[in-house]
Amino acid sequence: MPEYEAVIGLETHIQLNTTTKIFCGCKADSWFDPPNTNICPVCTGLPGVLPVLNRAVVEKAVLLAAAMHAEIRPVSYFDRKNYFYPDLPKGYQISQFDQSIGKGGYLDLPIPAASAADKQAYTRRVSITKLHMEEDAGKTKNAGGRRFVDFNRCGVPLIEMVTGPDLRSADEAAQYLIRLRQLLRWLGVSEADMEKGHLRCDANVSIRLKGETGLNPKTEIKNVNSIDAVREAIEKEIARQIHETEAGRKIEAWTLEWDEDAGVLRKMRSKETEADYRYFREPDLLAVRLDDAWKQAILRDLPELPLERRARFVAQYGLPEYDADILTAERSLSDYYEAAVKAYGGDPKKVSNWLMNDVLRMLNDAGLKAEDLKLTPAHLAELLKLVDSGKINITTGKALLGKVQESGKSPAAIVEAEGLGLVSDDSAIRAVVEEVLAESPAEVASYKGGKLTLMGWFVGQVMRKMRGKADPNLARQILEELLQ
Amino acid sequence: MELCDLSALELRNLLRRKEVSAVEVLDAHLRRIDAVDGRPGTLDSAPLTDEDRRKVHALITRTDARARAQAEAVDRRLAAGEDPGPLAGIPVTVKDIFCVKGTPSTAASRILASFTAPYTATPVERMEAAGAVMIGKVNLDEFTYGSSNESSAFQPAPRNPWNPERVPGGSSGGSAASVAAGEAPLSLGTDTAGSIRQPAAFCGVVGMKPTYGRVSRYGLIAFASSLDCPGPLARSSADAALMLQAIAGPDPRDATSAAVPVPDYLAELEKGVKGMRIGLSPDYFQLTFPDPQTGEIRQQALPEEMRAAVLHAAEVLAGMGAEIIEDVPMPATRYGIPAYFVISRVEAASNLHRYDGVKYGYRTRRKPADLRDLYRKTRAEGFGPQPKLRILMGMYVSAAQYSEQYYNRALKVRAMIRNDFDRAFDPSGKYRLNALLTPTTPTTAFEMDAVYGDSVLMQYADQLTVPANHAGVPGISLPGGIAADGLPVGIQLLGPDFSEAELLRIGRAFEVGTAGEAWRQVKPLVLRER
Ligand SMILES: [Zn+2]
Repeated sequence: MPEYEAVIGLETHIQLNTTTKIFCGCKADSWFDPPNTNICPVCTGLPGVLPVLNRAVVEKAVLLAAAMHAEIRPVSYFDRKNYFYPDLPKGYQISQFDQSIGKGGYLDLPIPAASAADKQAYTRRVSITKLHMEEDAGKTKNAGGRRFVDFNRCGVPLIEMVTGPDLRSADEAAQYLIRLRQLLRWLGVSEADMEKGHLRCDANVSIRLKGETGLNPKTEIKNVNSIDAVREAIEKEIARQIHETEAGRKIEAWTLEWDEDAGVLRKMRSKETEADYRYFREPDLLAVRLDDAWKQAILRDLPELPLERRARFVAQYGLPEYDADILTAERSLSDYYEAAVKAYGGDPKKVSNWLMNDVLRMLNDAGLKAEDLKLTPAHLAELLKLVDSGKINITTGKALLGKVQESGKSPAAIVEAEGLGLVSDDSAIRAVVEEVLAESPAEVASYKGGKLTLMGWFVGQVMRKMRGKADPNLARQILEELLQ
Repeated sequence: MELCDLSALELRNLLRRKEVSAVEVLDAHLRRIDAVDGRPGTLDSAPLTDEDRRKVHALITRTDARARAQAEAVDRRLAAGEDPGPLAGIPVTVKDIFCVKGTPSTAASRILASFTAPYTATPVERMEAAGAVMIGKVNLDEFTYGSSNESSAFQPAPRNPWNPERVPGGSSGGSAASVAAGEAPLSLGTDTAGSIRQPAAFCGVVGMKPTYGRVSRYGLIAFASSLDCPGPLARSSADAALMLQAIAGPDPRDATSAAVPVPDYLAELEKGVKGMRIGLSPDYFQLTFPDPQTGEIRQQALPEEMRAAVLHAAEVLAGMGAEIIEDVPMPATRYGIPAYFVISRVEAASNLHRYDGVKYGYRTRRKPADLRDLYRKTRAEGFGPQPKLRILMGMYVSAAQYSEQYYNRALKVRAMIRNDFDRAFDPSGKYRLNALLTPTTPTTAFEMDAVYGDSVLMQYADQLTVPANHAGVPGISLPGGIAADGLPVGIQLLGPDFSEAELLRIGRAFEVGTAGEAWRQVKPLVLRER
């Protein structure tokens, strides 16, 4: 069988996390609200109403466009995309057509070794062919033989972003979505939760013989609600196309729907001709003029991007890629890490270990973000210094994390208040050592008879009596002295 | 002289001096409506009677109770010594293309006949906040698509108070007729290609299309969004100024409303025309249109009396100190109608998409086979012929394969028309006009049923008014005389962006300069022998 490669482009719809909708004052997010509660004359398309653009939508679009290395148009336009559907109350969607806010752009997508066919990590440049603002439509559902419409989602701000046919495997498509989700949250423009529809993805899939450069007829996969489902659906579609091609059949331009429960693709419709949406400029809105002052004000908030920060963590702090990847998975965690490294002043890898082993577990268990922690980076740095200086041992240190998080008090204050510091008072330890030796004549005899490994047992006894607070090194010294 | 024959300013003064009450003013106007308006327009109306043929039929919906409550509120405020607002106690009618909370807002279409608006349009809200008393919603061409009012789904259609065998013009025909007949001194209309100015000319009243963006469109059921302008109809320039003052100004709910300060129109009104440069253009004294049979482009001079009225106005204004500039070229005028046909229909077809029987308004009573069938049946039954024509043409010319040939070309024409005005009004250019003086319409009001069958020809009646909509500039139509057929002749002034104060000033000067002329004393037929 000849070798095929997949040609995949992803069409994503990103729900922006603005407070209000794109053209009216209604609340944008209705995930927890009953149908038709966040609606008004404007978003339900009553006669005579007019849209007024929410500037926050433009600002978030500009941030995303900049992060995707897209050219940002100083003047862009809204257009009407005309079609009939009950969930589209105006009978047209206000979108951007030929002069959208973003032009071009790309994402340099790191493909980890685990996702690569030959287990070698590489970078795939994914081009962006479309990046525009638009309003969402509502939802319809059938129940009891009737059709219901929920307009809550009408007018929720979206960015439609489409890649070129640059992805070459289902794994690459999944990696793109993982990185896009990370970026959207990093920029603070979207919650990017696929299950809640904040990030929606349609995949265009075709195959060709390896080495070919042309494009073959593609199918479009819709209704995929998770990254795993995207990967699985594309894999199945690639396999189907190869099978069809091998069997000498042509691939037809179908639209396929992913059935999550059954794990299969179903044909929705054949796509013979492109629908004509009769686009024209939206006369109810002025051109979006992004003057320099506004643009600069927006881009002032553009943070260092996750992939850049990841590379810097490796270079600057000598972290392994693995650590850098985890620490930059989310922006507030990476900010937290850097703040802790600065406050600590010691080995950055040590901070990474504590974060990745303990703090992350704490975050995951509590469902918190790093920025929500009462355990501040300064607290963590202070705690590490307490361990370094022998004021507390590692076990106490780890237990302290939770106590700081619970109380918000500084580690030193808790150590002080709860007497958690190691006892390094010679006479106090000496008294306990003497007690232990007096209670254990048999062990003393064996030790003296040459069973030196019992030293650990003696130290353990001392620690138990002092409830772990003895400085173990000092206890060992005193034991050795008294057992001679 | 009855109260309902006084101007809004006169009524205002009487009310302020407590010589009359707002309720008395209201009652006088309601009596006038009872006397001259006849039965209101309804769906599936009974055939016209001889009685119907003598009435005005301006109204679709009377809002007597609402008006009475408003008038009583004004009287209470006056009695309490409070400022009741600049339009306090003044009756107004509102073209039924504006949404007014709690009232039917029909657009004169079956498809919206059952629609009661849950909110109020900004210009209406502003008039009511200024104390105006809304006495009813007046008839219009269905969705404003027409120049005669005959296309309304609510029949009988309005008739011209000067001669009920003639149309009142359109689409703000109900507005113009109601003002001419003394049913209200003020009416709120809309102008997309001349829809305020043309009926104002036909009915012998003042009608102003303000600069695009001067008055908010929020709550105006859209025809062609980039051309639609709400504006006042009144019996004098001063009353139009009073009303424009109340409705003009930026609106946070209309992104296309202009953030330009509103001048004090009344304060500017009496400043005269001395030193003003007023232009005349040969391109406004002829019509250019394709021959209906051969399609050949033909030019036709305007009837002499239309031309004479304009020249007479120029003479009057010159006598008052204005400088008349002749032969101002406005060469793109002739392309106004074809470009308008394309742009307005593309926008209209899209604006009509929302009437689908799903959410509000008319839904077919026949059982639909599926969703598409619901749309088809609902729209086929709900829309009259004019919306259907606009949908068909709008869909056609905006189709991807034609939009370059039609829509984008029309936009270029629009820019050419704008250039004509820019050149004429350029303060450092050759002409430096304050205003261009033209006829409003090629003819006086046409007969009922005469032109309605041919919508193309009816549209060419807008050739002299539509350029202002393309360019966005303000225009005003003033009564300029009475023709041999006994019908009013309108003259039009067009000015640069936001020059409403100057246009009203010229209008006022013209009224003062012609106050003694005989035609000023002639009353509309329906008001004679009263
Ligand atoms: Zn809303």
